[in-house]
Amino acid sequence: MSVAVLAPVSGRVVPLTEVGDPVFAQSIVGPGIAVEPADEATEAVAPVDGVVAALHPHAFVVTSPTGVSVLVHLGIDTVRLKGEGFALHVVKGETVRAGQRLVDWSPPAVRAAGFAAVCPVIALDAAPEALRMARDAGTVSVGAELFSWSGG
Amino acid sequence: MSQDKAAAILAAIGGTDNVIEIEPCITRLRCELTDPELVDEQALRRIGVHGVLRSGDAVQIVVGPDADNLASDIEDLR
Repeated sequence: MSVAVLAPVSGRVVPLTEVGDPVFAQSIVGPGIAVEPADEATEAVAPVDGVVAALHPHAFVVTSPTGVSVLVHLGIDTVRLKGEGFALHVVKGETVRAGQRLVDWSPPAVRAAGFAAVCPVIALDAAPEALRMARDAGTVSVGAELFSWSGG
Repeated sequence: MSQDKAAAILAAIGGTDNVIEIEPCITRLRCELTDPELVDEQALRRIGVHGVLRSGDAVQIVVGPDADNLASDIEDLR
């Protein structure tokens, strides 16, 4: 069983090692990849079908029916924005479809506040070899496949 | 069990008196502490946390996806 993990935002694909946060850069909570969004207000969508298992204005986890959980973090250290500039369209526990809009937010506003807007997409607790990257450079459109997660 | 883990984490960061604020963010607890030196990293590792990061007076404890629940359990103990 393999799960396609979709890009939550459009932008430039960057390796996690280039993300300025040691927890993500060192894959401490799981492997994955990141997307650097363009400098315009945008939406963030669900990376997989599933249930919204955790939800903050600036980050969410969607757990698929097969039990794999994908974390999307909108920017780095953006917990400090305390939700300002983020508009949620779902509640915790809601069942969502891959590609469904979950949050509206503004990467330019995040950057103006002094934070990185890069979005790590993390396969929580996955073995690194379980991921197959659909793209590891260049640009990706929201809703296009970022990687597949086998064994999940 | 989660309550036990919450109690163990609270003890390992110096107990209630040492905690100014704990802010959860999905996979980690961001702890603002009176004395960050009181954090017992060995004890946290034994509890099974993924990592401990220090930046200034803040200590981030990477606990995995259960951080939000753990933080509310810790709040209940305070």
